[in-house]
Amino acid sequence: MNIAPRYLGRGSWLARRDPRVLILAIVLFIFTVLQVWDGRVIFGLLLLSVAYYRLAGIPWRQIRRNWTVVFVFIGLLVTVNMIIGGGDAPGIPLEQAHVLFRIPLLGAPISAESLSLAVTQLMRYLAMATIGFPLAFAVAPADFGIAFHRLGVPEKFAFGIDLTFRFLPSLANDLQTTADAQRIRGFDWSAGKAGFLSRARRSVPVVVPTVVNAIAGAEDTIDAMDLRGFGTGRRTWLRHLAYDRTDLAVIGFFVVLLIVATIGGFSGAWSRVWTPQFLIDLAPG
Amino acid sequence: MSTLTMDRRNNLWEVTSRTIVYAAIGAALYGILLVAQVPIPGSTVSVRPAFALVPFFGYAFGPIVGFFTGLVGNGIGDQISGWGALTSWNWSIANGLVGLIAGLAPMYLARWVNGNLRDRAIGGAVAGAIAVVIGFLFVFTDAILQNMDIGTILSTLYIPVIVGDLIGTIILVPILVYAWEPVKAQLGR
Repeated sequence: MNIAPRYLGRGSWLARRDPRVLILAIVLFIFTVLQVWDGRVIFGLLLLSVAYYRLAGIPWRQIRRNWTVVFVFIGLLVTVNMIIGGGDAPGIPLEQAHVLFRIPLLGAPISAESLSLAVTQLMRYLAMATIGFPLAFAVAPADFGIAFHRLGVPEKFAFGIDLTFRFLPSLANDLQTTADAQRIRGFDWSAGKAGFLSRARRSVPVVVPTVVNAIAGAEDTIDAMDLRGFGTGRRTWLRHLAYDRTDLAVIGFFVVLLIVATIGGFSGAWSRVWTPQFLIDLAPG
Repeated sequence: MSTLTMDRRNNLWEVTSRTIVYAAIGAALYGILLVAQVPIPGSTVSVRPAFALVPFFGYAFGPIVGFFTGLVGNGIGDQISGWGALTSWNWSIANGLVGLIAGLAPMYLARWVNGNLRDRAIGGAVAGAIAVVIGFLFVFTDAILQNMDIGTILSTLYIPVIVGDLIGTIILVPILVYAWEPVKAQLGR
């Protein structure tokens, strides 16, 4: 069972950046996107996120499945929201909206405004997911602990993050061993009914031994940390991080983007959903 | 001696090597097992038996371990799936809150937490259930962040998540408590 994070963007332009850049970029970008509701600006931000994503050099073939999950998740969420919204859009009640049609059987109205909102939401989610992919695939897993520490996360918790990544391969291996051992006994946890209850019940013979073994086996790690005086003084890290000019330029760019979006949002210019005129014209009557 | 006693109330917030290692194990296991989740047809969420680890780690090892397990574990799961650890940061915080609230059980479920093994197992299920219902209220921040309709969040996110996670929690947490307590006693903790 290979569950360890995949470093698919190794050697790419983004992977050569200080890992803090990728963390800061996503934080700054998400807060930028959250302030913008104008679909035209969101489209620009989506294009920007795609350009940024391409700098990570992640091979499409290896993450096709991940993207499928993202599209299904976002698509379903936005569609359901549009139906439940009942033709409304922020600040535009149904009476003022331009209803295009009603969904057969459900009777839920779809207006030009609610459709614009749905498309904007779709692009917002896509932009945020797109900017998130490089963090998943273009940062060396061993760099997360030091990166978060240098961003202000307390030392012990940063070490905890580092330790979590180190535990992943061995615990995944333990899980596979337990699942195999149960399979030899004639129990297959991935087979059978897919209901809530049966799924939860079937996980017991695999999850419980794996968890208890992992906790019981943690004693060696705890002893090793205690013997090395963990938490008694300032910790040093093997990896040293330093921003270069390009890193600072990238961070600066995203900071400027956030400032511009904040000004645009507060001034009201980008804080309202934009409905294209051609959609309004399509509404009957 | 039990880790689930009122004596722990005073050192609930202590961060030692034990806290960090248990938290890292909880987060890693949760992240790994999230990959094995099964999507619920017609929903954006999944059946996640592994979620029971979050309230269990909180209940057994305290609020800090619980919070870390939920927050970092969910981030790791998102990271492995490619979604990015920080993209759904409010969902990671919601997961963390579940672990945190379950970890505070000695404050609001003292009778069960200090009882015999059966009581402690029941206490785990109750604390987990309370934590799931309260902790996931944080996902309603999507109404502000994503302009989602409250009805959408309730029907496609909150209710499916808490139903699935409640089932996993109520079944698995007591079993984990039953399995872990004798091992813990044997290890002399």
